[in-house]
Amino acid sequence: MLCEKCKKRTATVFYNENMNGKVRSYSLCGECAAKLRERGELQDITSMTGSFADPFSELQDHFFSGFFGISPQKEIRSEKKCPQCGTVYGEIAKLGRVGCPECYSVFADELSRMIQSVHGTTTHTGSVPARQRALKQRAETLKQLRTLQQDAVRREDYETAARLRDEIKQLEQSKEQEDA
Amino acid sequence: MTWYNSVGKDADTVISSRVRLARNINGYPFASKLDASGANEIIEKVSAPLEPAGFRKINFSDLSSIMATSYVERHYVSPEFSTKESPHALLLQENGGIAVMVCEEDHLRIQSILPGLALDEAYLNASRVEKRLDEEFDFAYSERLGYLTHCPTNLGTGMRASVMMFLPALTKGHYMNSLANQLSKIGLTVRGLFGEGSGSAGYLYQISNQVTLGLNEEETLKKLSDAVAQITESERRARRSIVGEPLERLTDSILRAEGVLKYAYRLSSSEFIKLSAEVRFGIALGIVKDVTYEQLGTLLVEAMPATLTLSSESTPKNEASRDKLRAQKVQAVLRGTPSVTENPS
Repeated sequence: MLCEKCKKRTATVFYNENMNGKVRSYSLCGECAAKLRERGELQDITSMTGSFADPFSELQDHFFSGFFGISPQKEIRSEKKCPQCGTVYGEIAKLGRVGCPECYSVFADELSRMIQSVHGTTTHTGSVPARQRALKQRAETLKQLRTLQQDAVRREDYETAARLRDEIKQLEQSKEQEDA
Repeated sequence: MTWYNSVGKDADTVISSRVRLARNINGYPFASKLDASGANEIIEKVSAPLEPAGFRKINFSDLSSIMATSYVERHYVSPEFSTKESPHALLLQENGGIAVMVCEEDHLRIQSILPGLALDEAYLNASRVEKRLDEEFDFAYSERLGYLTHCPTNLGTGMRASVMMFLPALTKGHYMNSLANQLSKIGLTVRGLFGEGSGSAGYLYQISNQVTLGLNEEETLKKLSDAVAQITESERRARRSIVGEPLERLTDSILRAEGVLKYAYRLSSSEFIKLSAEVRFGIALGIVKDVTYEQLGTLLVEAMPATLTLSSESTPKNEASRDKLRAQKVQAVLRGTPSVTENPS
């Protein structure tokens, strides 16, 4: 989608304007959004959204914003959008829930503080799905085989090197097949 | 045989153990973004391997609200699940206490509930089903964050383990608040089963892990079972410390509770919860001789409003007739009196 202001660059900033209950969506590129922000136009729109929002949703915003470490009323609601499910960060902050698995990569930076504060860490140490385990194991095997192959070449043991090369090729092919 | 009409290890302090694993399937958005056709697709896909394995599929969209509530009372589904609008289903293997909620907050909530202290076994049960489904599906997972869940509070193992404890002496001694504080420091939470906070009616509390990221499943289970063992020890010590006049008074109120349970004409749900807790305490203290934990466990489910109504041939017309039905049900279980039919009034 192109920026509706300059109509040249790709739109990366999306926000909704709510004027007396009438909602209009804007799509802008980063540069145009920054210009508008400098001129204070984006800020104006945001504060209006706040004043027309119903009091309960505002309360909810404040409740979750404390948890998520952002202040939606002050911050411009013009966030990245998850390409998979269309979720913007404002929704996540409001509901306390993400939209799809992909959101965790898209909003990794924004979510890491919240995850850290809930769990005291951001690193998983528990069980792993069988598929992932197999992938990891294959990656490790490939790494070992490549080291062995290099050693064999260095020793000028070309017979072993060729055998290892075939093994590596076979493993890589099976990986490609599964990815496809 | 179900989890609620049998007893397990440490029955004097532990009612049941439950382990729940949250999983989501790659390629579908999470519940809040999932449309009806996506939800139905997931339900079909998950049922395919589980139905032949002895699971019964219950489509909640087709269920009356009283039926749905009865599954909540049996602890197989969450209250949120029972009232959801979009398609959702339960796959239930009642014998092993294994319930898989499909399209709750997460695509899959695989849980096992067992009587008494049996966390490891409950985990094995849930994990066995999870492994079977892992063969079929590509679960949403990241190397860093573990299993990806709708709410970030379940990230990592996606595992919530909880133990339902019966703690009358600690409650009466006003120890529950400080216990809750201590537990929160080590990443565990306490929640009253009936009513929030420290003064749970029925002296029933769920102790569960708060954190799902950074600790693996075994560590989490160990931490919880160590805490439960300590709480059990404290509760037993507190029970032994009741002597002399306080014990006399307690004995009197327990035997009165037993009398009312066995002979009342009407019993409200809250009165039943309160009295049955006193009688359960009486069994633990050796004061009540002819009521068993199994009987009380059965009633803790079967005397609840929805399950009670379903067991009756005719739907009780009002609160009072339901309370009468409850009294009959309680007496049928405790005294073996044949009944549970509505008297013509």
